[in-house]
Formats: sequence, structure tokens, C-alpha cells
Amino acid sequence: MSVPDKRMSLKEAVSRYVHDGDSVYYGGFQIMVPMALTHEMVRQRKKNLTIFNASTDVGGLDLLVAAGCVKEMHLAWAMNWCVKAPYAIRRAFQASEIQRFDLSNCSATSALLGGSLGIPFVAVRGNIGTDIVENNTNDLKVIEDPFTGEKITIVRAWRADVAIIHAQKADPLGNVVSWGTRGVTDEFGAMGSRRGVIVTAEEIIDTEVVRSDPDRTIVPYFKTLAVVHCPWGAHPSACRGYYGLDIRFCQYQGKYERSADLLPKFLDEWIYSCPDHDAYIQKYVRMFGPEGLERLRPKLGFKSKLEVDYGYHDPAIWQGVPQYTDKYIRG
Amino acid sequence: MAATFRLTELMVVRCAKEIKDGEVVFAGVGLPLVVVSFAMATHAPNMILLTEGGSIRATAPPGLAISVDDPALFTNADATHGMIATMGTLQRGEVDVAFIGGSQIDRFGNINSTGVGSWGTPGTFTYFAGSGGANDMATSGKRVLAIMPQDPKKFVEKLDYVTTPGFLDGPGARERLGMIGGGPSVVVSTMAVYRFDAITKEMVLAEYFPGQSVEKVRANCSFDLKVAPDVKETEPPTEGEIALLRNIDPTGFYLR
Repeated sequence: MSVPDKRMSLKEAVSRYVHDGDSVYYGGFQIMVPMALTHEMVRQRKKNLTIFNASTDVGGLDLLVAAGCVKEMHLAWAMNWCVKAPYAIRRAFQASEIQRFDLSNCSATSALLGGSLGIPFVAVRGNIGTDIVENNTNDLKVIEDPFTGEKITIVRAWRADVAIIHAQKADPLGNVVSWGTRGVTDEFGAMGSRRGVIVTAEEIIDTEVVRSDPDRTIVPYFKTLAVVHCPWGAHPSACRGYYGLDIRFCQYQGKYERSADLLPKFLDEWIYSCPDHDAYIQKYVRMFGPEGLERLRPKLGFKSKLEVDYGYHDPAIWQGVPQYTDKYIRG
Repeated sequence: MAATFRLTELMVVRCAKEIKDGEVVFAGVGLPLVVVSFAMATHAPNMILLTEGGSIRATAPPGLAISVDDPALFTNADATHGMIATMGTLQRGEVDVAFIGGSQIDRFGNINSTGVGSWGTPGTFTYFAGSGGANDMATSGKRVLAIMPQDPKKFVEKLDYVTTPGFLDGPGARERLGMIGGGPSVVVSTMAVYRFDAITKEMVLAEYFPGQSVEKVRANCSFDLKVAPDVKETEPPTEGEIALLRNIDPTGFYLR
């Protein structure tokens, strides 16, 4: 069987696989946020997107909302944590430009798990008794447990049209390799997506290498639509083993997010004027020096000490070995 | 001689005293992440730390965690099973202490971290963050610790949005809805420490911080605050405790 090579540019991946009006699983949390993909969706002026996400901490959704790409968001938490507020989302909600459907982290993760399992809803313990269930009847209902008769909250499963995620490594076929947080919710968001997954990866590796340690594969190739080689693709969020959270840049970006007048300048200079993610990183180096990126290097030296061998046993060894028996067994 | 300390340092040290050694603690973002590292370095070396990012660990992270899925939380962790696994631990009733922040609180310890204004009235609602995991933690944790700023707009008669359940409208409400967790236990604000009355489930002033008084605390609370008969001033942190804390957050990301 031959499997197609899914490598392509960021531009091609987004133009081919993200359509206006799509629902999008938005990956990451504080780390592994698909920022290069966020910028590219802004650059291509995608419209009327519905976002599914548990929590997001670096202001990527603020940019997407400020650029007018989003119609609806379903999530538990969104802000640029380094400035402690979701300024653009706040303004867009006040102006009724977006609809927001809130729920808790456990509900959001469960909604994604439900989507990945292909079932309609999942029961959760939280939300009941609060304004969350009152205000978000789109995602949540309180029902009677059919087994015990007790009240329980259920959350509908989320199946996004497309999932966007960032990972450490991927192979050309689309196997996605990540470690160190197990993607938080990315496995579920990716597996539950209807059309499939766009992944940006720090490195492209050989399929043979992926298959030598398949426990680390968070998305198998058949769910993947596009593989984009994109170093620094999660910046300013962190990527385990490659770079840490860029606190100074998040604070810098946050100063733009705070002001409705300033934010379009950030979009112009850091996104629309940069043809691709390389240009964004080059601009960063021009403005803040190579030492800016150098500061983000993680403290390494925490290599796995487990020696893992996926050796298997060949049942051919039983060829010609007589049945085991004893005095109690007849025949 | 009394040590010179920041308000956040007093809050962290006071909060840490609420954690018992060996407990399973689910820490939310913000000062709770500093508190757990401090507790593990002092009186609670056998504490087990869980976060929303999915880290499960018996040791403090090697560096300050800026958020609940900070890479540091996963370096030398005992398991990194993801959000669904730590949320499952909560829902199974195995978390002793759910440790959260918030923006508004009422007398029954219900918390708002979603925003202020009228959610359903266009143009009036100012969003904060949302629940994150706070709702789940407060629903199912055996007891809830909350740490938050205090002024009359934050300690209110009625929340603008109930994000996270305390005792809801009073005794029996949590039980009627089948919540497995015990509800709020202690609130540490920027002025004082509160507990909850076992019968009425109302917040009670237990301690006021050095430099504060019952009157000042009451003036910064919009509901009729009950005061414990044995109310006292909170012990200030020691020089050793402050030195240790500043080592955990050397740049003052949280403590500043």
C-alpha cells in the first residue's frame, strides 16, 4: 500500500483544509498552541469559524477574534495569561460580534473525548448548580441518570470539521509524535475531527523512527490531512524540549491586545506583513535580537532513562512442540 | 525581629498551612502553584500534586510553573496522563484539596471567574477567563481552598455569574444536586482568612492580616460578614519562609 506524502506549506495546508464557516478544534493549552496556524488563518482572512477548545493561555484566540475570523467559541478558559485578560474576546463579546459558550475544563475534555469515541454525549460531575448550565444549553443539559434517577450533567460530543495542532515531530505520512504532556486534549480533538488534522511540527522525521516507538504517536497518519514543517510554530507558547513560554513577547503582544486601536497594528506588522512563519521569526530576531530566541532554549538533560524495547514473540516457535499434558488431562 | 514581607508572600504561606502532609492537592493556576511548591518544600513533603494540564507528581516541579500545563510540571513527573486523567481523579472523589482562585465570591463561597456585568444583556458583560477547571475542582474536591483579592466589589451579596459552586443557596443544596465534594473550607483573601459555619454554611471571618482589623475587613465586604468569636491576627511569615518562597519564584512572576 502506498500512502501519500502529506507535507506542504503552511499556506497550502490552511487554504486547502480550513474553509470559511468551519468548526475548528484549536490545539494546545499554554504550551503547544498552534500559533503559526493561527497566524495563517488570520493572513488568509478565514471567516465565521467555530472554535472548540478546553483552555488556551497565550492570546492566539484573541488574535483570531480580533481579525474577525471567529463567529462562535466553545471553551472553558481563554486569555493571554501574561497580561491576565482576554481583551479582544471581551470586546468582541460586548459588541455581540462573537457568541461564547462556556463550560468547565472537564466538560470540554469530555466533549472532545466523546467526539473521539464517536458517541453523542458524555456525563460529567461539574457545571450543575451554576450559571454555566443555565447559559450554555447548546453544550450542556442536566438529566436524570437512567440507572440511578439522580441528576447528572451531560455534555454533547464535539466533532470539529478540522483540527489544528502543533507537535514536536511528525513524519511525511502524517503520524504525529508528541511527548511530555501527551497533548493535553489534542489526541481527542484530533481523533474526533471529521475531515482530519493539520499539524505543524518542529521536525519531520522518518516513518521508520516513528514506528520504533509508537506509544508516542498521538495522531495516526490516517487522520492527518497536512504536515507542515514549521520550527517555532508554537511561539510565543512553549514546545516541550524545543523552547519555553516567551513571557516577554506575550506581555508585548498583550499590550496590543489591550487596545482596540493598537491591535490592528500588531496584526499588520506581525501577521499580514509577514508572508509566512519564517518571516515572523525573522522579524522577531530583527526586533529583539537572536538572544531573544536564545533565552527560550529549555534546560535540557532530562532524557528518558527507560530502555524501551518493543520486541515481540514469534508464535512460529510452537511449530512441532507437542501439547503439554499431565495425568488429569485426557486426549 | 519581624520579617519584611509582601502581601502575596503572607497569603502563600498562610494558604500552605491548610495543606496536610500526604494529601492529594489539585492546584489551579496562579498563586496556588506557588503554594504547593512551598508546602512540598516545608511541612508537606509527601503531598501529591495534580494539575489540569495532566501532570501527576510526588515532588515539586524543578522550576516555577507559570501555568497548569507548564513544561516544568511534566519534568520528572510521576505520570503525565493529560487533563482527562486528572479530571477523572477529581470525579472519582480522590482529591483531598481543590485549590482555586477567583474574582468574586459570596457568603456561601460561590465563586465567579467568568466576568462582571449581565451576561445575557448585550454590551454589558466584561469577560475574565472562564471556569477553566475551577468548577470541576470545587464540585468534586473533598474540600476547597480559595485564594483571591478582596474589596467590596469582589466580596458581594450576589455574584454576577456563578462559575463555581460553593454551598450554592445554603445548607443541603450541594447534596440535592449530587455533588460528591464537601465544598468550601477556607478562603484566603488579600486581607483575611475565612472559614465556613458547619450549620449555616456561611463564610466566617477567622483571621485578619497584620495591619488589618475586623472593621477594615468588614468595610471591604458587601455582605453581612459573620465574625468568629476567636478571631485573631494572622501569624506573619518568618524570614526563612520568605527566603524559601523567593527562591521558588525568583523573578516575582506571582509574588511581585
